[in-house]
Amino acid sequence: MAKTYDYLFKLLLIGDSGVGKTSILFRFSEDAFNISFISTIGIDFKIRTIDLDGKKVKLQIWDTAGQERFRTITTAYYRGSMGIMLVYDVTNEKSFENIKNWIRNIEENASADVEKMILGNKCDLDSKRQVSKERGEQLAVEYQIKFVETSAKDSLNVEYAFYTLARDIKAKMEKKQEASNPPGARGGTHQLKANDQQRKPPSWLSRCSIL
Amino acid sequence: MTNATIQEIEGIDDYWGPAFRSVYEGEGGHEAFLQQLDERIKQHDKEIEKLCNFYYQGFIESIRELLEVRSHAEELHAEISNVDANVKETTDGLCVRSEELIRARRVELNIASTIEKMELCLPLLTTYSKLKSQVEAKRYYPALKTLEQLEHVLLPRVGPYAWCSHISSDIPKLRQAIQDASMADLRDFLENIRRLSPQVGAVALKQTQEMLGRSLENIIKNKKDMATLGPSSVETTTPQSPHELVDFSPLYRCLHIHTVLGAKHDFVQYYRSQRRQQARLVVIPAAGNLHDSIQSMKSYLNAVLGFFILEEHLLTTGAGLVSSDWLGETWGSARSAAAGTLRTHTALVTDPTLMLSIKHQIVLFINALKCYGLPTEPLPQLLQEMAEHYTEVLMQRWVAVFRDILDNATFRPIEVENQEQYDAVMDTFPYDGDELETQAFPRKFPFSSVVPAVYVQVKEFMYAWLKYSSGLGLGGGGRAAAARHSTSLLLTRSFTGCLSALFRRALPLTQLVQIILDTQYLESATPYLYEFISNITGSELVTTQPAGSMFQTARDDAEKQICENLQHKVDEFLDLENYDWLLVEPSGQASSFVTDMLGYLTGVLTSLEQLPRRAREAAVTAAVQRIACRLRALLLEGDVRAVSAGALHQLDLDVIQCEQFAASDPLPGLRDQLLEHFASLRQLLDLITSWDWSSYLHDIGMEGAKYALVSPREAATLLEKLREAEQKSSVFSVLKKNERDRRKLLDTVLKQLKQLQNQDG
Repeated sequence: MAKTYDYLFKLLLIGDSGVGKTSILFRFSEDAFNISFISTIGIDFKIRTIDLDGKKVKLQIWDTAGQERFRTITTAYYRGSMGIMLVYDVTNEKSFENIKNWIRNIEENASADVEKMILGNKCDLDSKRQVSKERGEQLAVEYQIKFVETSAKDSLNVEYAFYTLARDIKAKMEKKQEASNPPGARGGTHQLKANDQQRKPPSWLSRCSIL
Repeated sequence: MTNATIQEIEGIDDYWGPAFRSVYEGEGGHEAFLQQLDERIKQHDKEIEKLCNFYYQGFIESIRELLEVRSHAEELHAEISNVDANVKETTDGLCVRSEELIRARRVELNIASTIEKMELCLPLLTTYSKLKSQVEAKRYYPALKTLEQLEHVLLPRVGPYAWCSHISSDIPKLRQAIQDASMADLRDFLENIRRLSPQVGAVALKQTQEMLGRSLENIIKNKKDMATLGPSSVETTTPQSPHELVDFSPLYRCLHIHTVLGAKHDFVQYYRSQRRQQARLVVIPAAGNLHDSIQSMKSYLNAVLGFFILEEHLLTTGAGLVSSDWLGETWGSARSAAAGTLRTHTALVTDPTLMLSIKHQIVLFINALKCYGLPTEPLPQLLQEMAEHYTEVLMQRWVAVFRDILDNATFRPIEVENQEQYDAVMDTFPYDGDELETQAFPRKFPFSSVVPAVYVQVKEFMYAWLKYSSGLGLGGGGRAAAARHSTSLLLTRSFTGCLSALFRRALPLTQLVQIILDTQYLESATPYLYEFISNITGSELVTTQPAGSMFQTARDDAEKQICENLQHKVDEFLDLENYDWLLVEPSGQASSFVTDMLGYLTGVLTSLEQLPRRAREAAVTAAVQRIACRLRALLLEGDVRAVSAGALHQLDLDVIQCEQFAASDPLPGLRDQLLEHFASLRQLLDLITSWDWSSYLHDIGMEGAKYALVSPREAATLLEKLREAEQKSSVFSVLKKNERDRRKLLDTVLKQLKQLQNQDG
């Protein structure tokens, strides 16, 4: 079957409950916005294919629940991710402060070379702002992570954020490929360990040799 | 002899014959006789002379005397002439005077006769002037009487004068004028009652309302009010009967006039045709749109009612102007027309409050008609139709309400922070909260805010609905049954319709789950709704309605969407598949999209735990079926031409993962059923990987064969793909013996499979 894409990147959205992760994803995947708040149960994902330098890049973006009680479910998805969006709410000081905790979480659970980006969401609500843009930038510099303020509601910088993250991942991957140049090792980077297999598959090769 | 004869002649006067014969026959003949005669004559002369001598003296004397008389006569003549002149002089004056007298006498006589004639004419003239003044004063009836008298009594009595003929020629004209004038009066009257009939109707409706509201309580209250207000308030009451508002006298006058004129029949005909036309007009609403406001509806009903109250009044008060047949006929056509008008106009009403007021007005209208003994026939029927329309209108309104509720719903379980909030929910929705009661705050209800909101709205709907049915004369039981019917209609049609509309866009799983739960709670609350109905209507509680099926369609929709949702996710995962179909060596791990997918499904299934088992079963089955189907298609579809053994092995690994998922009992007891979906794929993979062609070909077509689910066509397809891949990889290499054998076997099997295929075909 002809492949419908050149790259598949798995991205993860994390951040406190209510900062607008689902809204950002909704804006990016459906280009729509819904004011009402529906908290994510466990985990969900959306897929969108983008074009990067003539390559078709499929983004499978996992949307995690910010609530504490789903933490165990969500951390399982850290390892397979190639890019992580850390989202906070500019009108919520606490969500900004928690970014540090989320980064620690990433360090503990995700692979070391995962690409990261910080998003300060809800920048349209200027009157309620508690976290200045400068503080966001400062934090990003501190961790050497890219930063942008977004508004899912006004569709501000959402595309830009995902494209930037995807471009960074692609650059890193191409660099790595050049370094090792492994033939046919595509897809191997994002494979998870299979669960322990109860049924041992009959080896085709052994059967072959018997014949 | 001759002597004698002369004597004889002298002596005899006649008979002279013999004398003449003696003359002839005598002696001497004629001479003798002539001599004698001469002698005789001489004798007589002598005698005459003697006599004259004698009387001469006396004669002279007499002459003298005569002369004397002559002078005397002359004297007398003068004297008489004198007298005559005198008399003449005197009588001339007398004659003049007497002539004057005669003239005066004649004048006097004339005057007397004139006066006499004049006196005869005088009453005629006075009557005529009276007539004129009566006409002037529009008192047509007396005028007509006067006219009659004038014509038949007075005019014949007076002679044939020119002015009399003038008057008598005037009489028909006058009569016509009177008739015309009275007709004009009638027209005024007709116009007048057309103007007044709405007021009449209004008064009648008001009285009907008062009558309907009459109860002992009210009467006592009124009496008390009257007592406190004093007797003066009695004076200000409205007229006792509505028809007193109208002055019928012009009509009666007109009728009398026409009766006198002998045109009563024509008049009655005229009146009826006029009124019939009016009746036709009155049933056409003047305001145009009756559904715009209650005011136009009121005035319409007032006009119709007033019109026929007046006719009915005329029927009873009589004079044959209105017959009961005529009234019945007119009212019959009018009321069907009115009912038609009302029907078309009420069908356009979309405001429930307006509908209610209209209904109230029509009920009053019907009652008023009954009071006046007019048949009401199509109107109760109309009310019934309006009831249906009202239900429709209400439903439409509530569809909007429901849509609003659903649009703004988060479909999250209600969480309450304190007792107050908890009580607020418990007050609005009947929920057995014993378990919840013991929990600490924040407490969480199993249903979302949609449930109490909808429950409250359904109650509101019932209130609104029952408002209409009041006063329709339905029994409590009937009302309750109808209310139950409408309520269940509202829930099954309107609410379910809104839910279905909700499903038209894709909903997140959590919302779908909550919707299913919510419908269950709503259903369980229907008995309370019925209790509520029976409380309001005062009827016995009926619990025959089988609960549980009301929202089944909605639930089915939701379940279907859950399934579709999951299948869509499965498709998304499988679209990420990137098998290397010429893979030499399998990685020993399941593909990442498979592990991701199974992880995702496990997570989803835990979030579906609250759902009824049926729904969960459907969801899992749908997902698993789709996975099996897609994986099978990957292997067998035409896009992939060559499949290496390594790739086959990789796919086998992935299938094993999926089978493990199915076997892990995501839903207790569903294990075998789920595995069943992978069975054909498993048999196909086993057949190829274990190269067990002998048993396959041996068992084919037998019951309970090991590879019963593998068709020769599928086996052949896959085998061809394998051969293709092997040819590709070994184009340049020399085949070992065992490999050559294998290739040979492969070809033979392929041939046999083709044969089998052809047999089947």
